[in-house]
Amino acid sequence: VNERVLLVEDDPSIREIATLGLTNAGFRVTTAADGREGLIQFRNAAVDLVVLDVMLPALDGYEVCREIRRESRVPIIMLSAKSDTVDVVVGLELGADDYVTKPFEMPELVARARAALRRAAAAPDEPVLARGDLEIDPGGFTARRGDRQLDLTATEFKLLLELARRPGQVFTRELLLERVWNYEYLGDSRLVDVAIQRLRSKVEDDPKEPTFIKTVRGVGYRFDSS
Amino acid sequence: LSARPRRVRTSRLRRRLTLAFVLAAGLSAAALAGSSYLVVREARLSDSVDRSIDQARFNLVLAGETLGQRPSAEEVSVLLDAYERRGGFVTVGLTGERRVSSSLSVGPRQVPADLRRLVRAGELSYQRTEVADVRYLVVGGRVPGRAAELYYFFSEERLWDELGQLRNILLIGLAAVVLLAGLVGIVFARRTLVPVARASAAARSLAEGLLETRLPIERTDEFGAWAASFNEMAEALEAKITALSEAQVRERRFTADVAHELRTPLTALVAEASLLAEHIARMPTEARRPAELLVADVRRLADLVEDLMEISRLDAGQTRLREEDVDLSSLVGAIVRSRGWDGRVAVDGSEVVLTSDPRRLERIVANLIGNALEHGGRDVGVRVGRDGLGAFVEVTDHGPGIRREDLPHVFDRFYKTDPSRATPGSGLGLAIALENARLLGGDIDVWSEVGTGTRFTLRLPVTKPLQGRGGGVSRPGDDGVRQSQGEEP
Repeated sequence: VNERVLLVEDDPSIREIATLGLTNAGFRVTTAADGREGLIQFRNAAVDLVVLDVMLPALDGYEVCREIRRESRVPIIMLSAKSDTVDVVVGLELGADDYVTKPFEMPELVARARAALRRAAAAPDEPVLARGDLEIDPGGFTARRGDRQLDLTATEFKLLLELARRPGQVFTRELLLERVWNYEYLGDSRLVDVAIQRLRSKVEDDPKEPTFIKTVRGVGYRFDSS
Repeated sequence: LSARPRRVRTSRLRRRLTLAFVLAAGLSAAALAGSSYLVVREARLSDSVDRSIDQARFNLVLAGETLGQRPSAEEVSVLLDAYERRGGFVTVGLTGERRVSSSLSVGPRQVPADLRRLVRAGELSYQRTEVADVRYLVVGGRVPGRAAELYYFFSEERLWDELGQLRNILLIGLAAVVLLAGLVGIVFARRTLVPVARASAAARSLAEGLLETRLPIERTDEFGAWAASFNEMAEALEAKITALSEAQVRERRFTADVAHELRTPLTALVAEASLLAEHIARMPTEARRPAELLVADVRRLADLVEDLMEISRLDAGQTRLREEDVDLSSLVGAIVRSRGWDGRVAVDGSEVVLTSDPRRLERIVANLIGNALEHGGRDVGVRVGRDGLGAFVEVTDHGPGIRREDLPHVFDRFYKTDPSRATPGSGLGLAIALENARLLGGDIDVWSEVGTGTRFTLRLPVTKPLQGRGGGVSRPGDDGVRQSQGEEP
């Protein structure tokens, strides 16, 4: 199956070579040169993954990200200029799943894209997990608390599933990066922290006093079903 | 950085000024008091002599009229009675064999011998003498036409008392003047030195970097002029430094802008080269080598621009630390493994947990190990540990070493130890590593010996012991987490 990728990037050279690289890797690529066009393309075509530049004319990457998140849980990878500054965190807080820093080599982008799509793939043969009033269905890719359906992105869902599979087990950020984001070594732990924040805001009654996803200071996170 | 300026004791100058003031006032007051005392004393004493001589002369005339050629006892007692009535003096008379005195305490024996000699020679003379602690002016003379000498003892006690009082008053006055001069001197010295103290405080604050420091010009005297020229100097200094720092900011912004502008075409280049790299094997032989070089050079360029961006961010102080608890030795292990250096780098060390920014640590350690591998070849050793100074990561190679003259410059930007030889790095790696180390509160030392090898030591502060690390808790690389992974379906 050829997954469809929407690539939103204003620089023609980067756009062309990234398209070529993603196509070579087996993706079907749609492109857009600015934010507004990107949003239109996203609404017109069914898309499995969005690769989104942060600095875009017409509508910047953050705006596009926010708009897409309003209507879809599709995985989003941000192309960020600097890994060091706040723009990475801002993108993640707006619901991006991962980011790739410019300049990037094509294999890296392809690997991140595949990892994001793998997260979004359902695992139909896994049984439904019930933790208190929280119900997680890996096959249906859905989670609910009581009657309330939780609106989780693919990454948030995978993160919740990973934690909830082993209640009481402490997960380091590195382990979560490896298992949820498919980073081998030394990924950016901000990915985990921001995703946990977003997950809590959707799962917990009071995200400041979490009852499910607990922080273990200096180490990582732990799921509690009690 | 700079030695703390030696504090000068300002009180010393103040004391000296006060002392000078007291001395000047005291000496002139003493001179004035002393000379006026002497003048008054002189005048009073000679006045006393004049009056006493006048009286003595009159008394002698009276004696001449009263006494006969050979004065009888009655005549003498009449004369003494008459003298008694005039009062104010004691009379001692010597006529032939007879000696008379109008007082019990004063007698002929008290008449000074010198005076007697003069009087016998027929002169009216005087001399001062002291009898039983009473000071007298003795005036003596011969009674005209008689063989009798009369000596009048005029008491000068009152005169001396008055002079003593005058002297005391003058001394008290002098003391008061000195005291007053001291007080005025202290106040005056302090007031005079206020601008000096203010100027030295201003100079100090200028030295500490408060370039907008100025002195108030409140006076029109020399201090005012001084303050004005101090302000001029500060103005010039501020202008100069502002211009310099503006130039530096411009230069750094230019570097940042250049790096930033390069990034977009570079991003395209890197992506293009990475795609090209996948197809090199299938290229015609004559295109293969140029393509390989192209790919390698694009990576080199990308690294250089990346380093430029990073160092300009560090220069601009725009870097943020994201600190968390890090186990230094497992971090170093992960850095080595993730770069495929396992076979060539020996890591040795125990668990050292500290609070720091792992991404910056990775940057530093990867740079140091990468350098060691580049220059030292095989046998790179990394030791992680803790000593009295804090935590450290020591990277040792057995390469050719760094020459002594190059050693102080290895952290300089774009410093090349051998200008004729192209170095593989950007030339910024160690500079960035050092900046990052300092950002983390640490430092990097280097030790090297030509022919033996080089050792870089990253030193880091160990801020606080980690809390909340209980028994059931695990870290990356720890058994707990990994083992449970194995149970997974």
